Amino acid sequence: MVEQTVHRRNPDVSWRVIEGQAVLVFNIEGEVQVLNEVGTYIWEHVEDQDVETLAGNIAKTFAVSEEEARRDLLAFLQDLRKSGALL
Amino acid sequence: MDRIPDLRHFETDLAPGAVPFGVSVAGLTVGFLFPREVSLDPLVERYRPFLTGEEPAVAFRVAPGWEAYLEMAADRFLRLEERPLGEGRILLSHGFAAYRAGRRGVVRVSAPPPSPPFLQAVENVLRWTVADLALESEGFVLHSAGIVRQGKACLFFGPSGAGKSTVASLSPGCPLLSDDLVLLLKRDGRFLAATTPFAGTLPQGEKHPGIFPLAGLFRLRKAPEDRLEALPRPLAVASLAAACPFVTAAADREGRLIPLLEDLTGQTPVFDLHFTKSASFWSLLESEVLHGRADGPPA
Repeated sequence: MVEQTVHRRNPDVSWRVIEGQAVLVFNIEGEVQVLNEVGTYIWEHVEDQDVETLAGNIAKTFAVSEEEARRDLLAFLQDLRKSGALL
Repeated sequence: MDRIPDLRHFETDLAPGAVPFGVSVAGLTVGFLFPREVSLDPLVERYRPFLTGEEPAVAFRVAPGWEAYLEMAADRFLRLEERPLGEGRILLSHGFAAYRAGRRGVVRVSAPPPSPPFLQAVENVLRWTVADLALESEGFVLHSAGIVRQGKACLFFGPSGAGKSTVASLSPGCPLLSDDLVLLLKRDGRFLAATTPFAGTLPQGEKHPGIFPLAGLFRLRKAPEDRLEALPRPLAVASLAAACPFVTAAADREGRLIPLLEDLTGQTPVFDLHFTKSASFWSLLESEVLHGRADGPPA
């Protein structure tokens, strides 16, 4: 089963892309996280693309299969939700 | 149980004859008005090289408070919390509550001077306020040991226990900016590091306030041998942000800090310093950084 929702970034997480990598600062917890290139792509587009569209675009941009992109995307979104970066 | 004050707790008038006391950290000035019966001797002793009679950027009235605010943990660990209140923010610990809105504030302290809780309250309010004043003037404070070598500041940062005070103790004869909290300011496009009165675990001696160009920033890593490893810029920014106190408690501070860190890491190298907790790391820094042979900042 594939998620179709568009996600929302937690407004308590400030972020900035530096040399192609997103730096996330969790304002409440005081924690910091750096995303890799693919993670940064997802983070930048997570609010304006649903999961299917995002998976397709990741596959095209990073030259991986759609199946692999979808699987990794779902796992990554779960991690982001768990950490509180996504609502 | 925690006892959290509201704005009424900070409504206080000072009796006539209040005594002013001012501290300047590289031109960032914080003032206090104490009741006249308070002896300032322990504060004068503690902050002597940083005392100023200048008009403070932020002024606090100090008055007696409740017997306690935040509950002290069983291990006597002192919590320090910040939260919004009215048009300002409050800083709370076991023995004090401080409220600041704009250029004015009130500190309520549970214990009289010269008790340790009283001195700790003044110290924490100073740190809190200098951190904000720094961000207002293109600067920030970094949890780090700052040591001047060959006229340049080397800043060593990392969590508690990483070795900041150890590094400072292994640097006899080198001016110490602080072994806990160093102030960085951007002036004429370059970042400078300034001496602060904020002390960690080392005796601070008689500090000589000064401001120095930066040689490099070093995240401390205990290791079996001394080694330098340049940090990629995003990781450098993240690591530095994690070492800046108070910043993440308010989003507007973070909004100012991250661009500053991005700027800083573009002009100053940031390394992981794997070190053996002996003074031998200085040879490495002298050959690889202070003499300019290290990798420069990322393009």
